Amino acid sequence: MTYRNDQHVAHRPHEEPEMIDQQKSVEGRRAFMKKIAGGAALATAAAAAAPSVVSAAKQAVAEPQRAKHYGMVIDTRRCIGCHSCSVACKAEFDVPLGKTRSWVEYTEKGTYPNVARHFLPRLCNHCSNPPCVYVCPTGATYKRPQDGIVVVNTGNCIGCKYCVQACPYDARFLNPVTGFADKCDFCIHRVSNGLEPSCVVSCVGGARIFGDINDPDSEVARVMAKNPVTVLRPGMGTEPNVYYIGADHSDEKANDQGGYDVRVTTHRQEKKRR
Amino acid sequence: MHELNWGLPVILYLFLAGVGAGAVTVSSSVLLRGGGGIFGGNSFAIARAGALVGPLPVILGTTLIVFELGQPFRALNLFKLINLSPMNIGSWLLGLFMTISVLYALAFVPTFFPKLKHLDERLKAPREALAWICVPLGLGVAVYTGVMLGAMPARPLWNSPVLAFLFMISALSTGVAMITLSRTLFHQNRLDSEPERRIESRRDTGRIGRRFIEGEYVLTASDLLLIGMELMIIFLFIMFAHLTVGDVKHAAAVLLPGGDLATMFWLGVVLVGLALPALAELIYVVPKLVYHRQFSVPRRIEIAVATAVLFGGFALRYVVVVAGQVTSPVTL
Repeated sequence: MTYRNDQHVAHRPHEEPEMIDQQKSVEGRRAFMKKIAGGAALATAAAAAAPSVVSAAKQAVAEPQRAKHYGMVIDTRRCIGCHSCSVACKAEFDVPLGKTRSWVEYTEKGTYPNVARHFLPRLCNHCSNPPCVYVCPTGATYKRPQDGIVVVNTGNCIGCKYCVQACPYDARFLNPVTGFADKCDFCIHRVSNGLEPSCVVSCVGGARIFGDINDPDSEVARVMAKNPVTVLRPGMGTEPNVYYIGADHSDEKANDQGGYDVRVTTHRQEKKRR
Repeated sequence: MHELNWGLPVILYLFLAGVGAGAVTVSSSVLLRGGGGIFGGNSFAIARAGALVGPLPVILGTTLIVFELGQPFRALNLFKLINLSPMNIGSWLLGLFMTISVLYALAFVPTFFPKLKHLDERLKAPREALAWICVPLGLGVAVYTGVMLGAMPARPLWNSPVLAFLFMISALSTGVAMITLSRTLFHQNRLDSEPERRIESRRDTGRIGRRFIEGEYVLTASDLLLIGMELMIIFLFIMFAHLTVGDVKHAAAVLLPGGDLATMFWLGVVLVGLALPALAELIYVVPKLVYHRQFSVPRRIEIAVATAVLFGGFALRYVVVVAGQVTSPVTL
């Protein structure tokens, strides 16, 4: 249980913006210094080793760290609908009663005896085209350039709920305690310290796989390469970074178009799926 | 159960900002263009009524949404930067509009005091300059409310360019209604003190409350035109939503017969808010338009029409804001 020993990075929502901003500025400064120091050497090295991409990459030790692209694959075949991820998320962030950053939907369909139930774990998709970022009037929510995590800077958030409206995945909510927009942040405090998100480590079936999609050796990239994956609502053009294996995309709204009976339980109080 | 993240304060704001921006825009254009020439003398009185009445609902509505945030001073964060979010651009427009429209209204105050005639003379040029700024700003405020709702693919019912246009026309129409209402309610006696701005009344209708002013005719006729355009936009919106497949068709079903908001939409918005006022206006506009008769509207009809138009404007915002939030894309 080493992952539980990270008390020093315990998440405190109201301190998050400072933490993020400091981190960013420090990293920016470091990157700048490194650029100045290593720029000249790199230029000559690159010119000398131009044909061999691999050797150039190996030589570029002084280069600032390559941007990460965090993503998640959820293998629904391994999900047993136990809500461990939802509970772990609630505990990790002290999410207020009735609100959820991560939740598991049940999709029940068919008529007896041909019936089935599928599980669909949900969270913020950390889209490559995030509508919430595009509509935010204060720039409080933004996509981190260094790892692609979509975060809320509560220092700027005014609580207008525009982002809550704009999210096609209903992944955002107004935190009733702080009054700011809130959502999954891929456990930024854990991830930036080399740990995995809380929902990933707590998943009993190993259904959630998290990592850097840009790194071809990462487990998430390997699983994505070897399996057919889908994203939710691809038609919205959001380009999500949460991928699903074997997800059931049926929705209650398709019932009136005939076919089969579908019933969706979101497990978010009486809230229906958006 | 669907969450209404934007509730009554936001709906009221969209309505009030529309009314105020519409009233100021109409007032400014009437002041500048004099109603296109056939206006007679009372265009100034209409411009003044619009200028004085316009800023109030905008300020009231803005106060409502700022306090709805829960942390009013946080709203200042909007002015720390300029980005392409419709709400950000709208906030800048709104801030500018409130400043300019209040100045524009203040420029009319000396006209009430005969002693300040010299000041009134000197304010003529600044008044017109402010009016030139008020027209684009007012239209901007009226349009942005619709753009703000329309900017989200996740809300298929809102995600239509025609919504912003509908809100703009509705803003102008409710602005006209606000001007008419304020003039009928507060200016009844004032008219006698402006004999040069009043046109001879017909002999047989000397009753109190019957007024015959060319300016009123142009206002009423314009409102009729605006309502006609609104009905056309609504018809096109519903028709195209029905002709398409998928998200928008599914979302529009909430407004069609059998939908949750159908009664409010067809009775509140279309019948009471648009069709009946348009019919009433038509009855009084046609004799003047076709037979060149004297234009006259009984006071109670004027009040009823203006109230119905204002109610319709509110009902439109209500139906659109709620319908957009209870509908969503069909597939997951």
